[in-house]
Order: sequence, then structure tokens, then C-alpha cells
Amino acid sequence: MTNKKIVYKPVDHEIAELAHHHGGTQEATLEVLKDLGAKNKLNPVTITEAARALHIPAHEAYGMATFYSMLSLEERKKVLRVCDGPVCWLKRATADGGRQTVVDEWSSMVNGQWSVERSSCLGLCDRAPAVLVEDEQAGPVSPKDAKKVCEGWRGVPTEYSKPRKGEVRVMTSLIGKVDPDEIDSALEHGLYDGLKKALQSDPTTVLAEVESSGLQGRGGAGFPVGRKWRFVASEKRTPRYIVCNADESEPLIFKDRVLMETNPHQLLEGIVIAGYACGASEAWIYIRGEYEHQARRLERAIDQAKAKNLLGKNILGSGFSFDIHVHRGAGAYICGEETALLESLEGKRGEPRLRPPYPPTSGFRGQPTAVNNVESFCAVPHILKNGAEWWKSISTYSVPGTKMYMVLGHVNHPGLFEAPFGLTLRQIIDDFGGGMIKGSKFKFALCGGAAGTIVDEKLLDIPIDFASSQKGISLGAGSFLVCDESVSPVAFLRELLHFFAVESCGKCTPCRVGTWRSLEILNRMASGKGQQGDVEELTTLASLMHDSSFCGLGQSVPIPMKSVLTHFEAEFKKAEN
Amino acid sequence: MINLKINGQPIQAEPGKTILQVTKEHGIHVPTLCYHKDLNPTGNCRMCVVEVKGGRFLSAACVTPIWEGMEIQTQSEKVTKDRKLTLELMLANHPQDCITCDVSGECELQDLAYEYKAAAPAWGSKGTRYPVDSDPNPFIRVDMNRCILCRRCVSACAEIQVRDVWGVAKRGFDEVIVPGAGTTMLEARCESCGQCVAYCPTGALSNKMNYGKARAHQMTKVTTTCSYCGVGCQFDLLVKNEKVIGVQSNPNAPVNGMALCVKGRYGYDYIHHPERLKKPKVRRYLLEGKKKPRDDGQWTMDNGQSSTVNGLWDWVETEWDVALEITAKKFAQIRNDFGADSMGFLTSAKCTNEENYLMNKLARQVVGTNNIDHCARL
Repeated sequence: MTNKKIVYKPVDHEIAELAHHHGGTQEATLEVLKDLGAKNKLNPVTITEAARALHIPAHEAYGMATFYSMLSLEERKKVLRVCDGPVCWLKRATADGGRQTVVDEWSSMVNGQWSVERSSCLGLCDRAPAVLVEDEQAGPVSPKDAKKVCEGWRGVPTEYSKPRKGEVRVMTSLIGKVDPDEIDSALEHGLYDGLKKALQSDPTTVLAEVESSGLQGRGGAGFPVGRKWRFVASEKRTPRYIVCNADESEPLIFKDRVLMETNPHQLLEGIVIAGYACGASEAWIYIRGEYEHQARRLERAIDQAKAKNLLGKNILGSGFSFDIHVHRGAGAYICGEETALLESLEGKRGEPRLRPPYPPTSGFRGQPTAVNNVESFCAVPHILKNGAEWWKSISTYSVPGTKMYMVLGHVNHPGLFEAPFGLTLRQIIDDFGGGMIKGSKFKFALCGGAAGTIVDEKLLDIPIDFASSQKGISLGAGSFLVCDESVSPVAFLRELLHFFAVESCGKCTPCRVGTWRSLEILNRMASGKGQQGDVEELTTLASLMHDSSFCGLGQSVPIPMKSVLTHFEAEFKKAEN
Repeated sequence: MINLKINGQPIQAEPGKTILQVTKEHGIHVPTLCYHKDLNPTGNCRMCVVEVKGGRFLSAACVTPIWEGMEIQTQSEKVTKDRKLTLELMLANHPQDCITCDVSGECELQDLAYEYKAAAPAWGSKGTRYPVDSDPNPFIRVDMNRCILCRRCVSACAEIQVRDVWGVAKRGFDEVIVPGAGTTMLEARCESCGQCVAYCPTGALSNKMNYGKARAHQMTKVTTTCSYCGVGCQFDLLVKNEKVIGVQSNPNAPVNGMALCVKGRYGYDYIHHPERLKKPKVRRYLLEGKKKPRDDGQWTMDNGQSSTVNGLWDWVETEWDVALEITAKKFAQIRNDFGADSMGFLTSAKCTNEENYLMNKLARQVVGTNNIDHCARL
């Protein structure tokens, strides 16, 4: 028998207030934890209190606080996050991966008011090497710029208002023309025309139009958007939800950031049309926590759209009501996986769910939900405005429409461009990327994203689309990191595995231990301490992760592993000794 | 009914079932680790992967629903190889201390390693990552080094005991099971029921009271019914050298399954307590039919003098019949002298429903009073 008297204590006033401010339910957990973290007040006591205020078990709040990389239980000053994604790594070209070196360099250069941390790819690959100064994006900047950066200098953003030669601009057509912070400017440039047109016809017509356009999802898998919406629309249960996946956390990918930054209303318009077609009532834009600037721009755009009755109750007198919310992540690549994203949105650890059921049947809050990528939504207004036939007529290639491409690495003009499908890697490098930089020779490219294929020059002339991965070159989310002969494929693969090992959620054994062990092997191979049998073990681990992992993260880690081991077997063998 | 093929054998099964349910029904062995029939399947550990024809990946049998025309291989080379590798990855991150481990012999990880001839890889044994015996809970011994992150403890605590003590913290290779917000178990609302221990497939969670006392093959199990209350939970007493050294859940217990409360699971030390009453005891003066001594232990003799009488006040072991006889006579005497309502009966939650009913009969019909109450009403 305990002799301790159990006394009921009400929840700490400040935390109760905070919880109430963010909605008071489990879905507010991440926001509450972030606010506590910003005040350096994240510790077991406050986390337990926050959990009480939100009516969830303490372990759930603690599990989240230790899951998301932007949260920390350690006391921090102002935080400066240094990107150690593969593109920034290439720019820094340090022998050991440079993770600790570059953090130390920054630490020594900034004054004592800053805490410097490493971060997985910040999505600023066109501004590499990049850092995140509190919540402000900066790049290209190096440790020698530290003083300026602390004083407010943020480097020079890449300019996209002028199209490259050969570009076909649809989603990017208004970059530099439209003022992203003014809805009047958006309306002048014909934004929301697609929505107005859609609202004049019935949802089934809108759905049929999107279906017949053949629009494929732009997140990487290429699932037909119209078919997904049809699944949601045909569910009898309401409410139905739309979720926009703007958790662009994969190294090499930054197209969604540019789309949201340059033309937020285009995205909102696409989401509202999706809502109308699916019979949904609300939407959430799940944006990665590192994109604070873009999140604020979206919130401003939402407010303006509401003021113009393009959002909210009875939109333009059509009887259709719809709302969009912005939800910020807090640093977790896995939340780009749609079911992990939904878990995160519900205020849980971002761990993937069992499938089936798939989100169109049981998604956010267990309701029918359409989850699509930013770029997919951005294409929709144009399809509605100009018609599915026009979308199909943009190119002669078998996959209709345009795609955002990113070309990075050792090319003369790295950056973002829009073009039809079916480009070859050679075209991407020579026609759009301005060719290899002077004095360098192509060695390999990482195609798609971090979980894409690594190809050598044999695959330079294969037209790339969602199906070309069968031929060994993937489109993924459309990014291409081009490396010249100075780059060791062993060290490069180590960078990728470092990313996956850091970002694995830990739920299933093959991915949790497999990524970690692969990194261990690659660390020693890249530093000249490889051992006999290393290549074989990497191959075995890759097969295991592919076959047995729980979700797409673990299943796709082997894609770069296997492809680079195939194309550069000799170099890996050499690194064994 | 759904038609499917498992290892080439045509099978009919009800729709809505998982592959694992069907294989179990048909006696086809599929190894599991994070799966437990009492808990919601999570598909974490990937031990139960099987090959489904047409699938790009292997499927976890515990969470994959069956469909018409499904063709499943449960023992193909690919499947067996992957299971073995997954086990090796778990073992690499698990201390190689089976030789001194308490649960050796009833450890599911050990059994699977044996089945698949999986040993810890040479690169394993990364040293002790967590403090051994890390929690001050008086009953539950925590050694997270042995944890393979199957999360059965988390599910058991949430789904069976509904206390939500255990949770998952951090991510990737650093992932670890913690109580509450990284506190101690008791601070995280633990009521020490030990459900987490019962469901832990390894030695990560074990019992403090019998730690190091015996291994599975050195004990005999005696199924018994808990004597603490009327629920009628069953469990196995663990017996070594004629001594009860512990309590273990018996999954076949009809009333409670694996569930037990802190008293049933850990309140067994009274069994071999030197002061435990095993037979009725009666004061010597009653047994010998003498007069009652005074409270000060003295006895007033017939001549009015006080005298110390050795032993008349002592408790003496006797037979049930004798003790009951004396009690009955005393009851009768009290009733005759002071009336039935001078007596009251208080029964106990440790008695069964039937015993409580009989007590009620004794009070009302034999003695003739309505003065009866029960501890559970207080």
C-alpha cells in the first residue's frame, strides 16, 4: 500500500492555454510541442503536462518530441541548420562527408548566440550549399559568410522568371509575372478561371475531365490523379478530405517549394477543384517545417482567397463550401509517405500505416481522403481552364502534359525547368543544364531523387517517364543530380545511405537495421578501410530491404544501391581492399 | 468462401481473414515475433513474410488479407533467406548473453534463431547501449539492450491494461521503448500488472522477484486459480524444488487469458512465508475447556488469587473440525445470550460469488440477522 497521497493537480496553466490555442486535440500535439521547444521548455515534465492537456498518453507526446528532427529536448539558442544533403555535399566536396567538419566550421564562425546543427536536405538544392537560419532559408552560403548570415544576409535566391531554351511553361508560366502575395495580381493573370469553369459544371464532369487528361501523380509513383479522385468520390462516407503533400523532404527535390513560393494561388485553385470533384469539404496542406517562408505565403494566400469568396462558404455562389488549412511538419522525410503523413497530421509519430486500407477509403481521421503532390494540384487548374485535349496536345510524347525537372550538380546551369515528358538524360544535361561544366566529364547521375536510380553514360539516351525505371532510369519526382569524374560512387552512396539511416522511422527491422548497417559498411569503404565481402553484404542487405521492408522508404533505398553496384561494380570491388 | 493456394495446396477460407489466420487454421507453420493473437497486428518485425504470386515485395502474413485466387509460398528460398537475414539484423543488436539470460529456453527470439540457424553476425554485439535493470519498478526488470522493438509491450499496455505506459521514442536505429515521457514506469502511471512482461518475447522485460532463480526447463508449471479475488483468474505457478518461485500467465486461462493484476502476478511471496497460517489455530484455554484468562495473561483462581498460567493464552494448531466446533458453539452462545443482532458478518472480495452467497445464508438463516456486509461495498 502506498503511503503517498495522490493529489489531483490541474494542468499547468500556460500549457493548458497553449493546447487550447491550437485546438486542444491530439492533432495539435506537434504545434504545442513546437511552441514549447521554441521557448526551450521541452522536457519530460512539460511533455507530460502537454499530453494531459491534449488528452493523450504521455508516451505519444514524448514519442513525437523525439521523432521529429526540428524538436529537441536539449536547450538550444537560436538554431542554424546546416544542410548535409548530397547536393550541398557535392558543393563542399569534403572527403569524409564533412558532416561534423562543416557543423564545427559554422559553430566556430557564428557568435555564441547560435546553436549549429546538421540537417537532412533542406530542399534548397538550387541554392547549395544552404543553411536554415532559424526559419529563414539561406544559400548559397559558406562558413566564411557566417557573420553576414547572422546579421541577416541570406545569399542570392535562384531566379526563374526567364524560361530556358526549349522550356514549355504551364505551371511556371507566371513566375516573375504574378505577385505571389497579391490575389488581385493572380486574378488579373487568369488564376481561378479554371475553378470558375469547374464550378459551372457538375463534379462528375470535372472528374471526367481530369481523368481523360491522363494526369499522373507527380510525387514519383505516377498514379493517375483522376482514378484516385474517383475512388474518393465514389466513397459514400462523408466528410471526405483533400490532403496536399508538400512535405518535400527528399534530397534533390525542390520543385514544390518553387511552385508554392512563386504562385501559391495556383496550388490553392487546384486543391479547391479537387475538393469539388471529390465532394470534399476540407483540405490540409502538409508542408515541411523547413518551408516556413512558403507556409506563411500560403496562409496569406488562403486569407486573400477567403476574402474574395474563392474559399470558404458558398464559393462564388455555387453552393460549394470548402476550406484549406496549412499544417507544418517538423523534420521527417518519412512524412512524405502518404500514410505516415496522415499519421503526422493526426498528431502522431510519422510512421507508415498498414495498407490496405488505402487513403481513398480510410485516410485522414479514417475518412476518404485524396492525397496528392503539390505539382499534381498545380497542373489541375490549367487542365480545367484549357481542357483535357489541350493538356494532351502539349507534347507528342505518350505521357501527356508537362513536368517540373530539376538538374543539379556538375552542369553549367543547374536549376528548375518545365518541359514535356520523354526527355533523355543527355537532353537534360546538354539542352537544359547548359552541358557539363568546363573540364569535367560525365560519370554518373542520380535520377529521380535520393531514392532514384544511379545511371552511367550507357543510359544517357533513354526517354524518361514514369515507366522508364524498367529500363534502369527513373523519373521519380523529376530531379537529376549529375556527377563528373571527380565524384566517387562509393562516397556518393554513403551520402545517400546516411540520409536514409537518419530518416528511417525505425518501425520495421529490415529498414531500421539495414540502412544503419549499410551506412557502416559504406563509411569504412569510402574511407579506404573496406573489407572483403562488403559488396556482397551490401547486395544482400539491398535485397532484404527491398523485399521485406514495411513501406516505400525501405523498399526504395535499394534502388540507388543496386543500380550503382551494377554500374560501378569495379569501383566498389576496389574499395573492398 | 475464398479460394486460394498455399504452397500449391488448394484451400478455402472465409473472406476478411489474414494469411496468417488461414495458415494457422491449416497447420501451416509461419514464424511470428511481433504478432500475438491477443494484440492488434502491426507488421513491424517482418518475420512472417511470405511470397504472394504477382507481388513486387514479400507480404507480412499477419496483416495481409487474403483474396480470391491468391497464391502463397510460405517456405520459398527467398522467404526463408529474408527471414534469416531479418533475424540476424535483430541479433546483431541484441546482447549475446543467452548463456546467462533469465528467459533462455522460453525466448521467442532464441527459438526462431534456432529454427533458422541464425547467429549474430560478426559485426554485431555493439556493446551495451542502455543501462541494465534500468527501471526502479519493484516487480519489473527492464533491460532494453535485449529489446528487438517488436512493440508487443506497447500494445499490451495500451490494449489489454489500457494504461498506455509504454511508448516508442526516437527513430531509426536509435529507436527505443520508453515509459511515458522518458520517465520511470511508476511515474508513467504503471500499476505493475506485468502484462508487458508476459507479452515480451525476449528478456528485455522480465520479473525482478524471480530473476536468476530458475530457467524454463528447471521449473514445473502448476496451473491454479488465483486466491486473491472472486474473478477466478488462472495462471501457472512456477515451481522449482517444491518451492513456488513465480507466476506466469497461462494463455489458455478461460477467464483472464494472459491478463493478471499486480496481486495475482507478483503477490505470491506469502506462499512460503514462515508466518503463513496453514491450519486453524485455537487458544489453548478453549481447546482445554478452561476459563478465559484475563487480558493481562493472569488467571483468577477459584480461591480468588491471581496466578500466571503458562500457555493457556497461546495459539495451538488444531484440526478444522475442532476449530469449527468451538466457533459454532461460541456463535450459538452469543446469540443465546445477546440476541442474533448482536452479531455481524463481513465477507470478502477474495471469496467467490458462491461463497459470498453461503455467507449470506449463514447470517440470515442460520444466525438470523441481517447484519451482513461486503468489503467491496466500502
